[in-house]
Amino acid sequence: MLKEKRNERQIWLDMIITLLTLEVMAYFYYGLRAAFLAGVCAAVSAAAEFICLRLMHKDFTADDLTCTSDALIIALMLPAVMNYRIAAIACVFAVTAAKNIFGGRNNMIFSPAAAAYVFMMTSWRAQLLQFTEPHVKTGLFENAGNLVSSASHSFKVTGKLNYTDIELLMGNFSGPVGAVSILLLLVAAAILIFRRDISAGAFIGCMGGILFLAYFVPMASTPWLSVKYTLVTNMNLFASIYIVSDKRIAPKRNYYAFFYGLLIGAVSYILVLTTVKENPIVMVSVLFTPAALAFKNLEKRIELAKAEQEENEKAAEQEANKEAEEESQDYELNAETDEEALLPEVSEEEAAEPDSFLYELLSETEENEEPAYGIDTAEIIPEAEEFLYISEDETEEILTGNTEETAGQESENTEHSETDEAESDEENALNKEADEDE
Amino acid sequence: MSNSRSSVFDGLLRENTVLSSLLVISPVIMCGDTLRNAEALVYAFSVITFFSVMIASFVPKKLPYAVKIIIYAVISSLIYIPVRIVTQEYFPGIVARIGIYFPLLAVNSLIVVQTETKFFRMKKLKMTFSLIFSILGFDAVMLLTAVIRELLAYGTINSKVVDMHTLISGLGMPFGGFIFLGLMCGLYRKIRSMAGYEDNKVRSEENVSGN
Repeated sequence: MLKEKRNERQIWLDMIITLLTLEVMAYFYYGLRAAFLAGVCAAVSAAAEFICLRLMHKDFTADDLTCTSDALIIALMLPAVMNYRIAAIACVFAVTAAKNIFGGRNNMIFSPAAAAYVFMMTSWRAQLLQFTEPHVKTGLFENAGNLVSSASHSFKVTGKLNYTDIELLMGNFSGPVGAVSILLLLVAAAILIFRRDISAGAFIGCMGGILFLAYFVPMASTPWLSVKYTLVTNMNLFASIYIVSDKRIAPKRNYYAFFYGLLIGAVSYILVLTTVKENPIVMVSVLFTPAALAFKNLEKRIELAKAEQEENEKAAEQEANKEAEEESQDYELNAETDEEALLPEVSEEEAAEPDSFLYELLSETEENEEPAYGIDTAEIIPEAEEFLYISEDETEEILTGNTEETAGQESENTEHSETDEAESDEENALNKEADEDE
Repeated sequence: MSNSRSSVFDGLLRENTVLSSLLVISPVIMCGDTLRNAEALVYAFSVITFFSVMIASFVPKKLPYAVKIIIYAVISSLIYIPVRIVTQEYFPGIVARIGIYFPLLAVNSLIVVQTETKFFRMKKLKMTFSLIFSILGFDAVMLLTAVIRELLAYGTINSKVVDMHTLISGLGMPFGGFIFLGLMCGLYRKIRSMAGYEDNKVRSEENVSGN
C-alpha cells in the first residue's frame, strides 16, 4: 500500500516536472498569459477537488493534488488566449463529472483532461481551435487579435507545413501551447518511459499505429514527410504521452497496452485522413476507454486464474508431502511392530547386555544355518556384520570376554578415569582458589 | 394515515418518476433542452398517461398479463391521436422537432409497467392521486431540466435572450443531457439521504421505544 502511494506520488511529481518544463516553453512563446492560464486551471481544479471530497465526506490529502497534473494537461492543450472562464468550467467538469462521479482518483474511467477537452470541443470549438502566432504576447486580461488556425489545420488542408525542421522541433508554430514543443515532448516521453511513469506499451503502440499508417497511407507528398508532419501535428505526441499512456487508464501489461495504444493511434489517423476533425486522438482515447476497461478485466481474470492455479499446485504439493510423510510413518511403525513381534522376550538384564543377546542370535543362526527369529542380524546392528565374519577363535574370545585387548583397554580405561578424576580435582581446586581471590 | 399520504406523494418527491425510478428519461435527455420542447412534452405526457391509466384501470384483472399490456397500449395509442393534433395546433413545429420521442410517450413506463406493479394494486381514489403526483414528478423534472439546459446552452429562457457571458453549448446535446441528468440524480439522492437520515433516526427511536 505504501509502495503504491509512493509510486503514485513519484509519478505525479515526474509528470508535474515535465509539464512545468512545457509550461516554461509556453511562457517563452506566449508570455505570462499562458502561465496564468495554467495557474487558473490548477487552482480551480484543486478547489473543485476539495469541494467534491468534502461532499463525499473524505479528507483532502496530499495525494489528491494529482488533480493539478490533469489541470496542467488541460491548460497545455488550450490556446494561450483561451477565455479563463471556459478553462475553469472545463477543469470543474474534469474533476467532478469525469473523475469524482466515478469514485475519485482510484476509480477513474476516463482521463479527466481528455474528457474535459472533448467537452470543450462540443461547446467552444471556435475558441478552442483559434490560436495566436508564437511570440505574439497577449496581456493577461486583453482580448486577443489576429487569431489564426493551427498548423494541424493547414497541414490537413494543404498537405504541407512551411516550417523548418528546427522550428518544428522547438515548437515555433501555431497550436496548443504545450503540444507543439516536439523536442521537449520527446525528452519528456523518454524520461517518463524510463522512470516507468507512463505505459510504455501504450505509447509505443499509439505512436507506432499513427506513424505506420502515416508512412503507408501518406497525407503529404512523400511518406517521410507524412511521418514527420503527422508526428508534430494534431497533438499526436502530446496526447500519446499524457492521455493515452496514462497509467491510471491504460492496461497494466505492456502487451495489452500496446494493442490499446495501437487501436487509438490507427483510428485517430484514419479520422484525420478521412474527416476534417482536428486533434481526434483525444476524442478517440475517450471513446476507447471501454477497450481499456476490457483489457484490465482480462488482466484481472488472468491474475486470478494464475493465483488459483498456484494455490492448487501448492495444495497438491502439500497433500503429496503429507501423504508421503504418512506413508513413511506407517511403514516405520509397521516395521517396528513387525520387528517387535518377531523379537523374543528379553529380560532387563539381557537388554542391559546387548552382547549376550547378540551371542544368542549368532549362536542360533550358526546352529540352524538360518536367521534366528527370522531376523537378519546384519540389518539390526551394523557391528553385527563384523561379528558374523570373524574367526571362531575370536568369537570365542569375544563371547568369553577375556581377550587381551579388552583386558588392556579396561586397565587403560581405569587409568584414564583415575587421571581424569585427578585432573578434575585439580581444576576444581584452582577454580575455588580463583573464586576466593575474586 | 401519514403512511398512505406519503405513498400518494411519493411519485413527486420521495420516489420521483425520473430522478429516483429513472423512468421516462429518454425524452428528458433528448428533448429537454428548451422550455418550449418541455412544455409540449409535459402536456402530451400528462394527458396521455393520466387518461390511459384511468381507462386501463377498468380492464378486467383476470385477463392474462400479455393481453392486458396490449390493451393498455391500444388505449394509450387511441388517446395519443387527439393529443398529437392538439399539440400540433398549440406547439407548431415542436412535434417534428421532438421526432420519434413524441409517439414513444404513448408506451411510456408509467403506462406499461407501473400500472400493474403499482397503480392497479391501490384503491381507485388513492391510485388517482398517486398517478397525478407521479405525473407531476415527471413534469417538474422535465421543466426544471429544460430551463437550466436552455439557459446554459443557448442563453435563453423560453426563447427569450438572457444576458449570459459564457454558454455551454454541449449541454444542449444528448451527451450534455445525460451528464446534467446524472448530476441532478446525484443531487436528488444526496437531498433524499439527508432527509432519510432523519426518518431513519425517528424509526430507530420508535423501534427502541417499542422494544
